[in-house]
Parts: sequence; C-alpha cells; structure tokens
Amino acid sequence: MSVLARSVGNAFRNKIRTSAVVAVLAVAIGLALSMLVANQAVGSKVQELNASVGTVLTVNPAGGQGFEGGGEPLTTAESATAAAVPNVVSVVGTKALRLENESATSTSSTGTTSQQGGPGGGPGGGTSVTTSLKAAIDAGTLGNRNNTNSNSGAAGGSGTGNSGAAPTFSLPITATGIGAEVDTSGKALNITSGTGLGDYTAASTKALLGTTLADKNGLKVGSTFTIAGKTFTVAGIFDAGTTFGNNAVYTTLAEAQALASTPGELSSMVVTVNSMDNVDAAKTALQSALGSDKADVTQGQRNLETAVSSLDSVKNISLVAFIAALGTAGLIILLIMVMLVRERRREIGVLKAIGARNRTIGLQFVLEALVLVALGSVVGAAIAAFASGSIASALISSNSTTSASNQRGPGGGGFGGGFGGGGAFGGASQLLTSVTASASPSTIAIGVAAVFAVAVVGALVPALLTARIRPIEVLRGE
Amino acid sequence: MIEVKDLVRQFKTGDRTIKPVNGVSFELEKGTLASIVGKSGSGKSTLLSLLGALDKPTSGDVVVDGVSLAGLPDGKLTEYRRRDIGFVFQQFNLIPNLSAIDNVMLPMEFAGMRKGARLERARTLLEQVQLDPEKHSRRINRLSGGEQQRVAIARALGNEPKLILADEPTGNLDEQTGDHIIELLSSLSRDHNTTILVVTHDRTLAQKTDRRFRLQQGQLTEEAVRPRVVAGA
Repeated sequence: MSVLARSVGNAFRNKIRTSAVVAVLAVAIGLALSMLVANQAVGSKVQELNASVGTVLTVNPAGGQGFEGGGEPLTTAESATAAAVPNVVSVVGTKALRLENESATSTSSTGTTSQQGGPGGGPGGGTSVTTSLKAAIDAGTLGNRNNTNSNSGAAGGSGTGNSGAAPTFSLPITATGIGAEVDTSGKALNITSGTGLGDYTAASTKALLGTTLADKNGLKVGSTFTIAGKTFTVAGIFDAGTTFGNNAVYTTLAEAQALASTPGELSSMVVTVNSMDNVDAAKTALQSALGSDKADVTQGQRNLETAVSSLDSVKNISLVAFIAALGTAGLIILLIMVMLVRERRREIGVLKAIGARNRTIGLQFVLEALVLVALGSVVGAAIAAFASGSIASALISSNSTTSASNQRGPGGGGFGGGFGGGGAFGGASQLLTSVTASASPSTIAIGVAAVFAVAVVGALVPALLTARIRPIEVLRGE
Repeated sequence: MIEVKDLVRQFKTGDRTIKPVNGVSFELEKGTLASIVGKSGSGKSTLLSLLGALDKPTSGDVVVDGVSLAGLPDGKLTEYRRRDIGFVFQQFNLIPNLSAIDNVMLPMEFAGMRKGARLERARTLLEQVQLDPEKHSRRINRLSGGEQQRVAIARALGNEPKLILADEPTGNLDEQTGDHIIELLSSLSRDHNTTILVVTHDRTLAQKTDRRFRLQQGQLTEEAVRPRVVAGA
C-alpha cells in the first residue's frame, strides 16, 4: 500500500467525521470560489468599460453642454489644437441638432431651420431643424410636464413658449453629426443592419437611425426621409441599448454643420487618450491648451465613473471575501490536521519505530488533508456554480443602491437630464446589472488551485509537528 | 556482533532520579537467541528501547557491527531501525485500519522494496507465523490477540533485520502457537544468523534461548549459557 493509498484510507477512517469536515470545507471553498467568480466577472466588466470609454475625455463649450447653457461654440481649429496635446490619439467632433417633426412645427414656425433657445429658458447651442421623422418616444406625462415647464421658462426669455394651454406636444429627435463611427460618449456604434457612413468628415446624404426610430417610421436600410427638406437615405440601423439612445439619428459631421448653417462649429469633441494612466495628465493639458474660458473638459461619463467606482468596490469586497474564505478553509484544515496528529501520536510513533522517515509521515498527513480538500472542492465547486450568480448580484445590487442614492440630485428630470451630457442616472445601475457572473471552468480551476495551495500550507504545520514526535515518548505508555 | 558498554538510562521524577538501566554491559554474537527475564518495572523494556535506538542512553554506548549508535544523528538512527532492527511490541502496535498483509509490508515499503516483492514476502512471512491465508487481507481490528501477535512478528521479520527485539512475543498466544513462534525464532537465529533478544516472563521460552539474562534494579546478570548450535554444523 502506497503513501497515497494509506492517506486516502485514513481520510475515510471515521466516515461521520469526514462527512462533517468535508461539509464545512465545502461551504468555505464554495464561498471562496463564488467570491472569485464574482471578482473575475466584475473585473472583466471594469476592464471592458475602461477599454471602451475609460480613456475618453469629452470637451464641451465652456458653460454649455448639449442643448443647455451658453458660451461660444467650439470650432474645428480647436479640434486641431486638442489633437496636438500629448497622449491624445484621436479627436472626434460632433454637431448636435434637434429634429422636430414638420407637422408639429407647422403651426408655430414656417422656416426649416432656427437658432432656437433651449428648453428650460437657456439660450442653448443646439439648432432645431424640421424632419419627416416622427419621434419614437411618446411625450407621456414626463414629456408634457417638461414641455409645459420649458414653455413657461421660455416665456421670460427668447424662447418659443406660448402662454396658456400647451398644444399637442411631440418629442424632438436628437440628430448628431459625427466625425467617426462612435456615439457622443466615444463608444463604437453597434450597427445591427446596413453599413456605416464611410467618410464621416465629408458631406453625405446617408444617415444612421436608431432601431426604435426606424421601426416607428417604418424605415429600413435604403429607405429615405427628410431633414430640413433635404432627402437622406438610411445607410444603417444601430442599437444604442436604450430607448432614449435609439430615438436618434447620426449623420456625417460636415452634413450636420451644413444643415445647421454653422460650418466649422462643433457641439462637443470626443478626445481619446492613449492609456488610462495618462488620462488625468491629458485632461489637464487639454484644458490648458483650449483655455478654461473656452472649453469644459470632462472625463468620460459621470454614470460610468460611478459604475466603475461601484464595480471596483464590489471587486475589492469580493477579493477580500475570497481571501478570507480561503484563509478559513486553510484554518479548518490546520485545526483538523492538528487534531488528527494529536489523535494518532501513537501510530506516528509506531511508524517511526519501524523505520518511517519524518518526510514519509509528513507527506502522508499532507495527502490526507488534500483528499479532504479535494472532496470539499468538488462540493464547493457545485455550490459556487449554483450560488455565484446570486452572490455577485447581491453584492452588486447592495453597492449600486448606495451609489444611486449618492448620485441622485442635479437634473433628475427634464430635457436637461435627458439631452444633456450628464446622462441618465439609470445608466450606472444598468451597467452594474449587466454584469453576469458565471462559474467558468478556468475560474473554478484557479480557485481550486488556490484552495489546494492554502491547504498544503495548512497541512504542513501539523505535518511538521509529526517530526517532533519521539517514538519512545508515545510507546512508553505501554 | 552487538556490544553494549556500560549503558545507563536515568529519569528524573520530581526530586528523585531513577535508573532503570544502570551500567549494563554485555555482548551478543551474531545468530544468538537470548532472553532477559525480570520483574515488571525492572527496566527490561527500557533496555530494549535503548538497543533499538528508540531512546538515547544517559551514558554508555551500543555498538552494532562496529558502528556506535551514540554518535549517530536522528536520520541515521531511523535508518538503523528500518534496516537492522525488527521490533515485536508487547501491545503489538499494529496500524488498526490496515489489513494484516499491509501492516507486514509497511517496513518493506519504508525500505524502498518494490510492491510485488514486498507482497510476496509478506505472504510468505504470514504463512510462516501460521496466519490463515483467509485472514491476510482482514483488518487488524478483526483479528484475535494471538493473530495480531503473529502479524506483529511477521512485520518484525520484513526487512531481514540483524537484530530482533521482542517484548513478550508469546504473551498473548496459546501454548501450541507459542511453541511454534519459539521454534520460528530459534530457526531464524540458527539458520539466518539473526540475533534475537527476547524479554519474557515465560520460563519455557527463556529456557530455550542460548543465553539467559536477569535484569534486577537496573543491573544485568547472566543466568545461563547454552551451547550454541551453528547452522550447517
């Protein structure tokens, strides 16, 4: 009988005790593996988010953002200045337009293009143009309430608001001229059918439509529609992942500038930095190069930062919990093996008396511990396979709840919240809930390897204790 | 040849110092079957522990084939026990969750013998001590006291040791099996030139040994010497 066979046999000497030890180990190992799965899932998500927009800076006109605020618009010349800043790898200009349905505007305006005050009373930097498209989103309670607020706000300024009862209100559609195939946050567009626009810097009558907007207007790739009386062809349909994001149109930058009759003007710039490590330095340099009175430089999306921050918390918590559970498993093994060594002192003495080396006896105890750990790992892996998703979700939801309550506040409703660069606060929790934790074989293998490493360390201590047992001391009891 | 030189082992219990072995000296030629008799607590088991390198003497030395045990490190003493010594303990000290044959194979495994060779030798030894072949694979705790004693003797013979130290080897055996074990030990010393030192209360066994010692108050005296029959003579 080999040392291994003897160790396996010893592990099952007392079946009731072995079952109890395996059960306790399985819980600790299962928890450790679940935490590792959660950690890796969250880590992947953070990496993915950082890779997509983590290195992106957004430049808006100083004092303005989207259709809100004021100040002077950005220009193509400033785009060139931004591109010359160290560590900047690309600068994509955008030009925002607000499209209003022709039938909805016919009663109040006869023109096709107007430099219109922004909703909420601000002068705004956005340009309204007419379109044949109908918005994919119904105004509903929020839209009508916001429209009423904006009308009464505009009444005191230069807006188009009317006093008295508000007419039937149709939500505007966001149209953006872009210099590359990315959205306003710098994330690549997910084109689900058709193609992109080709050269995004040249004027073109091709456009990209969001899925719900295309459905609402019965448009497919190759269909046509009008903006400011000009016919556009649907080159592709994209999915932005949100209802709001899909109520949008993308044209080339030059075309949007032409439609707005503002050549050389930009609503914002999406600046990509070469690495996460250089983002802060590039942001400072960019702000300095453009001038703080000319441009506001912000890092990515606020909701993304919050999401990444929350996910980082979850990652840290799961890592600490993984280490703690691993340590617990090691401690269980240590205590069990110390107990077994004490219980089998006489047997160890006999083995030494008949010529067993210390290392042979030590190895026998380490292997016995590993047999117990192997059994615990099998059950623990099964526990992790079933529980890791729930545990990860519980960790993430507890963190996202805290984050959401911390971030709720400015611009919770209205067009400012909807159209502005600040974005919907629901975005963070949406990013968080999109984390899926599944126990992949490689993750389980890494976790089990870590458990075995800890178990070896835990078993070595009692194994070394066996070397201190002198045979005569235990045999003298005869 | 085994030389024991002025061997002393003392213990302190509180303020008292006791010397179960106090200046013991003797020599045993190869192939000698010797016995030590004495009252309980006279130090017989302590003397066996010193000869088997389970314990270290307070002073004095044991020299086996010219090698002094006093100067050997623990690793070498373990090797000495594994290669040169066969123990038969009074309480058998078998491993309870192993079978009879696995117990017999243990010292051979520690000595690095191949599995096939040790299995064959273990079977032969168990047959020599007259353990029913049906019981070779039976767990130790399912064997009677006498059967366990025979397994313990077979285990001691596993590595063909130079010296067998047996503490009451027939103490748990019926008369017939006891006689067989005595005959087996005699033939080992006679035919295989194995030195055997037996601690016993059994006068019959003691009388069948070549040399008979008495241990009293830590002192060893020789009671009788019987002419030795050399193998092939």
